[in-house]
Amino acid sequence: MVPESLISYSGHDDRVVPRFLGEHDHVWMRALLDEFARFVGRPQRELDERLREPLPCESPSGKRALAIQVLRRLSGQQRRAAVPPPSARAALFGEAARASAARETVLANVAARLGTTVVSLEDSLFADLPSERLVVPIEASVSPTQLALRANLALAQAFISRAAAVAVEVEGNARALVRHAKLRGLLCTVTPRSDPGSARLEISGPLALFRHTLVYGRALGELLPLLARCLRFRLRAVCVLPGRRVTLELGSADPIFPALETRLYDSLVEERFARDFRRAAPDWDVIREPEPIAAGGTLVFPDFALQHRQHPGRRWLLEIVGFWTPGYLTRKLAQYRAAGLPNLILCIDEQRNCADGDLPDKALVVRYKRRVDAAAVHRLLLDRASS
Amino acid sequence: MPLFTRAHATPRRSSQLLVGINVALVAIMRLIFDRGTILVAEAPAGLDLAQLPGLLWDPRVGAPRAPAWRHHELMDAMRVAGVRFSDSVSAVVRPADGWAEIELRPYQEAALCAWELASRRGVVVLPTGGGKTRLAVAAMARSKLATLCLVPTRVLLDQWLRELSASYPHPVGCLGDGVRDVAPLTVATFESAYRHMDRLGNRFDLLVVDEAHHFGAGARDEALEMSTAVARLGLTATPPRKGPASERLAQLVGPTVYELSVDDLAGRFLASFDSVTLHLQLTPSERATYEGLMSSFRTVYAQFRRLAPEASWEDFSRAAVRTTEGRRGLLALRQARKLLAFTEGKRTALRTLLERHREARTLVFTADNETAYRIAREHLVMPLTCDIGRREREEVLQRFQRGELTALVSARVLNEGLDVPSADLAVIVGGSLGEREHVQRIGRVLRPAPGKRALVYELVSRQTMEVTQAQRRRKGLGPRVADQL
Repeated sequence: MVPESLISYSGHDDRVVPRFLGEHDHVWMRALLDEFARFVGRPQRELDERLREPLPCESPSGKRALAIQVLRRLSGQQRRAAVPPPSARAALFGEAARASAARETVLANVAARLGTTVVSLEDSLFADLPSERLVVPIEASVSPTQLALRANLALAQAFISRAAAVAVEVEGNARALVRHAKLRGLLCTVTPRSDPGSARLEISGPLALFRHTLVYGRALGELLPLLARCLRFRLRAVCVLPGRRVTLELGSADPIFPALETRLYDSLVEERFARDFRRAAPDWDVIREPEPIAAGGTLVFPDFALQHRQHPGRRWLLEIVGFWTPGYLTRKLAQYRAAGLPNLILCIDEQRNCADGDLPDKALVVRYKRRVDAAAVHRLLLDRASS
Repeated sequence: MPLFTRAHATPRRSSQLLVGINVALVAIMRLIFDRGTILVAEAPAGLDLAQLPGLLWDPRVGAPRAPAWRHHELMDAMRVAGVRFSDSVSAVVRPADGWAEIELRPYQEAALCAWELASRRGVVVLPTGGGKTRLAVAAMARSKLATLCLVPTRVLLDQWLRELSASYPHPVGCLGDGVRDVAPLTVATFESAYRHMDRLGNRFDLLVVDEAHHFGAGARDEALEMSTAVARLGLTATPPRKGPASERLAQLVGPTVYELSVDDLAGRFLASFDSVTLHLQLTPSERATYEGLMSSFRTVYAQFRRLAPEASWEDFSRAAVRTTEGRRGLLALRQARKLLAFTEGKRTALRTLLERHREARTLVFTADNETAYRIAREHLVMPLTCDIGRREREEVLQRFQRGELTALVSARVLNEGLDVPSADLAVIVGGSLGEREHVQRIGRVLRPAPGKRALVYELVSRQTMEVTQAQRRRKGLGPRVADQL
């Protein structure tokens, strides 16, 4: 996590712009990457020591510290030891406590017993500790440009981690955001915009109603990489920095999207259901993430459309609901009905349990615990077809 | 289906069964646990939120909501107001019986009584070594409540698990250090509790908060806010005094219900100890470097003070990182501290002390991990830092107890609440830490071991900032008047 002291910005409190790294920073970032390369194979401690000193070329200290932090996360470490370090420690310190001999004698005795030299023994002693591990090369794909983008993303996430809520106006791929919010236990209200496929999302956590809590900061920050796939977006968040409260604005033009393999927060439950259902019902098509549907002033995002291959008229929407309350389900059903889509199956999490009497009438509900029973869903579809 | 087996059987069904005709539906209001909050479902239109504590209208879901910690207060207020409601918040599974008998010292018994009399809400202040964990285990055994214990570090997690398992025959849950395992009695690190309380908040009736002074200042307070547990026990040796943090702690855990100082226990329950401060010289070259660094720091600091005489140290460091000059000043200070962490004089003194007290069980405290490793290499003393893995750490502590290791060196791990029985010598090599930390450090060696008198050496470099630090630290050892007893 980027510390507060590295959060740097310009502008007024009601609209600040993070001081992003750009092309003018490439020279010193190149030098920084070279330093990392120079220390490959040496202990992390030595690299850390070096990085406390200035670089050979002029570099703004805040930005440099940020880039170093990002590089640290990217760089791996290697442990190399003649003797497994814990065994080396157990043997050496135990012997030192037992024998009242001089340091050199103790070292020599233990090295002999472990079948190694004094030098290797001393090298092995802490070789597994973070500061002693050896620096390994950073991927070649991390160029100054990529490093800048990654640092900018980290900086933007550092802002968001100090926010209790974000508002995003988005064109395209709103689903990924809604889904992430749902899976991370956040609340997301969706207002459709006039142009199709656009929406305004407000995302926050339950506790944010009472105070500016940072407990959702990490989950909110995870939204940022997902925005890379949106056509256009504008995000606003109120962030609390030491002694002041600022409003951050980010947009599609901001340089915060490195070439990452953006790993979406994938729901295992959904993944498994798609696989299981294809197997259980080979004559049905499983369409993942069908188009969002405007209904009752909001957008709904069914997770699947299930469509019979021979009779495309037999089409069902299926939504896997994580967090829910009876009121929530009632509203959800009403939304689907208002949109003229009565064929809906809701899969609800057993662990968010409530009595049958609380479920809205006519809802087709499949309860699940960790895994949605695809065969049960299939049976339900067949039952409905015959009745 | 029998009638009214559950509080939330719907009115529709009951009325149909009772009279056989449809009567007008009045949905009963329900309290639901929702991710660390209490959500009120089916709230009647006329419900006056202002009359009910903690409730706010949540437009995001169209229902009133309250933070979880106010659950019981909210229910009480609803009952008083005569509001009909059902409550399906709790998901508590009671722990199975089979607690071992837990013996308490008289003052522990008194502390437990004070806590029980305060409706099982409050902070107990005991000096380190006073047996706070034992007290908490007794509170759990006696109340038989489903309990979540919050502890600050991974090291303490292990220790609490051990202590609980010694008195409780069933599996104990663990959250943290890579483990996620929830049981009716569970121990969690602060960090894990903070992250997972939205899912755990309704599963415990008692929260035990070790080193409770970490809460109240805002950071991670959510861990306490998102729990519905009405019984709460805070433990600390160093409670925050007066101010918003102490008020917030009183709100979330309870007021101080019992307090004893080191002096109250020393001699009888804590081994009494002698403390010796060794004043050491810097070598001429160390002195020259030190003065150079300090003068460049002082220049920057004096400048800042002239402009802002009222400002705090935090204000200064925040302002300093924003200018080149300020950063240079801070860097100089950091380097000066680093120099003091392990001077030639300290190195020699430590060697002498370790030789002189070969037979003693010794703890060495340093300012940072790096110094701890240097001492480990030079003096062949086992380091105990947070980098050392969990299993090895446990093994090391056991070997120390058995006497197979006679000394340990640590920067931070030993600071808070870790039991190291029968250590009888402490050497404080460095650490620019405040009064609080020092009290706890000294506490480490104050474990009662029959016939032992503990000894604490403090190594201080003459004419450096360490002198005032040492004075400040010793103040923390003096008698403290209890706020309320």
